[in-house]
Amino acid sequence: MTNLQSGSTPAGKSSRWADADIAALVDEKNGRLDPQIFTDQAIYEQELERIFARSWLMLGHETQIPNAGDFMTNYMGEDPVIVARQKNGDIRVFLNQCRHRGMRICRADGGNAKSFTCSYHGWAYDTAGNLVSVPMQQEAFPKLKKEEWGPLKARVETYKGLIFANWDADAPDLETYLGEAKFYMDHMLDRTEAGTEAIPGVQKWVIPCNWKLAAEQFASDMYHAATTAHLSGILAGLPEEVDITDVAPPTTGIQFRAPWGGHGTGFYINDPALLLAITGPKIAGYNTQGPAAEKASERLGSIERGAQVTAEHMTIFPNCSFLPGLNTVRAWHPRGPNEIEVWAFTIVDADAPDDIKDEFRRQSMRSFSAAGVFEQDDGENWVEIQQVLRGHMARSRPFNAEMGLGETREDHPDYPGTISNVYSEEAARGLYTHWVRMMTSPDWATLNATRTPQLDAASA
Amino acid sequence: MIETTSPSTPFIAKPAPIDVALQQEVELFYYWEAKLLNDRRFPEWFALLADDIRYCMPIRTTRVLRESHHEYTGPNDYAHFDEDAVYMRQRLRKITSDVSWSENPASRTRHIISNVMIVDGEHPGEYQVSNVFVVYRNRLERQVDIFAGERQDLLRRTDDDRGFEIARRTILLDQSTVLSNNLSFFF
Repeated sequence: MTNLQSGSTPAGKSSRWADADIAALVDEKNGRLDPQIFTDQAIYEQELERIFARSWLMLGHETQIPNAGDFMTNYMGEDPVIVARQKNGDIRVFLNQCRHRGMRICRADGGNAKSFTCSYHGWAYDTAGNLVSVPMQQEAFPKLKKEEWGPLKARVETYKGLIFANWDADAPDLETYLGEAKFYMDHMLDRTEAGTEAIPGVQKWVIPCNWKLAAEQFASDMYHAATTAHLSGILAGLPEEVDITDVAPPTTGIQFRAPWGGHGTGFYINDPALLLAITGPKIAGYNTQGPAAEKASERLGSIERGAQVTAEHMTIFPNCSFLPGLNTVRAWHPRGPNEIEVWAFTIVDADAPDDIKDEFRRQSMRSFSAAGVFEQDDGENWVEIQQVLRGHMARSRPFNAEMGLGETREDHPDYPGTISNVYSEEAARGLYTHWVRMMTSPDWATLNATRTPQLDAASA
Repeated sequence: MIETTSPSTPFIAKPAPIDVALQQEVELFYYWEAKLLNDRRFPEWFALLADDIRYCMPIRTTRVLRESHHEYTGPNDYAHFDEDAVYMRQRLRKITSDVSWSENPASRTRHIISNVMIVDGEHPGEYQVSNVFVVYRNRLERQVDIFAGERQDLLRRTDDDRGFEIARRTILLDQSTVLSNNLSFFF
């Protein structure tokens, strides 16, 4: 798409935003969002520094690089990284940038390599990101200490197959970072002791919209799916004799807002009206009946969680989203305030029958992908929001994010965290509130201090 | 199904010359098909697809030359499209509905088809065809997308006035990251 790239970005503040000004952009109490958070270049630059350089970012699935030397390139914010499997089984993540003159070390999407050699002057790195060879070092760099000039290395941790990395040495470990969200991630990642595996292939496409529109929708927005946005996607999956007017959207379900951390999810419970249209009958059956559903119910501790949760949407702050039950997993890589790249892949239970694995592949492609009958229309909505926000007046009034305001509980017997109706914007308020925290906290010590004692106790 | 290498097997060697009338008939079929798509006559376009249609677009990746055999995702891997007749019928239902926001208002597309090379297929009346496309899409106020690539088709002769039906279409897109907000139309 060329329409935004060729145009000029709406002029924003050229200088750094003060903490108080950032905090004023999100009114959590009244459910108000200042549209400048989606458009301002200076805010975006601060996001790269304060959010993307300090958060745990999802970079793929362990099974995408099973063997020593397997690697894939990916991004942390706008920073290119190499994700590589080591001989000892570890995964290393390092900046895809030669420290000599800044050239990209590896220009392939993936493969298997013993080393990476910069194509500019030949500095060579092993798969752990150590500088191991400098051409003509004796003559050219006699005093160079190679151990000091490797690319920047990120911390790496995995959660049940998903690989995450973080640049910040002071950030909490991944499990603490995920907190209560793990309980809900397990709906997709822990249905069987065999775990999950990725179907080969990562789909990438460009949407000219701010990354938070995508992240927020997957965290908090069942409303769009049950109202207008995906009518034609639902229609596509209905039996020929059934019309869209014959189907009433479900109303039973919950939404989760991480008490601290910006994560969110929501799903229907035992109300499978839309399920057939989203996943098709074969996956619907696999997820809700039979041995796989029974095993999941046992592992997750209830039939409700193992077999009756449907249409789940989820975002791990800041930019990792997925749909448990359909199992599309994606990162929304920011590309300036006005554009994202979507990097999407699909995972399956590692012990699912082959025909079920293939059905997940084809159904997730059919529904949630660049050509997906659901996701096509997301691309349309976010792009047009972003276009309209070029206008001065369009950015002059807050957006309404007050759905479900005050209608929450933190003592749900079955579900941890802050729980509200499935149609709520509580998780969106949580995401933006955490966005403010990260944007205004100079370091992780300050951030950690914003966790309230009660919430710490609740998550312990 | 998706071929993991390009060019596809029948087109590694230069195709033998074929009957000029057949060449013209296949090209005319493609021009008419393109017109149906560009004029949004989707039910008529859909009627050109065989009941056993496979409509595929593998993902293209950037690889070093040593690993260029991995450039396209394989037949059991993730893809942009891997559709049978049932899925294509669902897509038809979507694109012809008045709530399909990605195509209502509709895109303005222009399919330009060229470089048509034909060899006999495995069965009588079947032809393997390599052709290239440029698809221009313009939509709403000023969105422009341009796609180029190769289509590897299996055409099957019919005894009705369609002339052929499309039994297989593998679309090899010349983009690794799709430079568009969606693929809401057909190639």
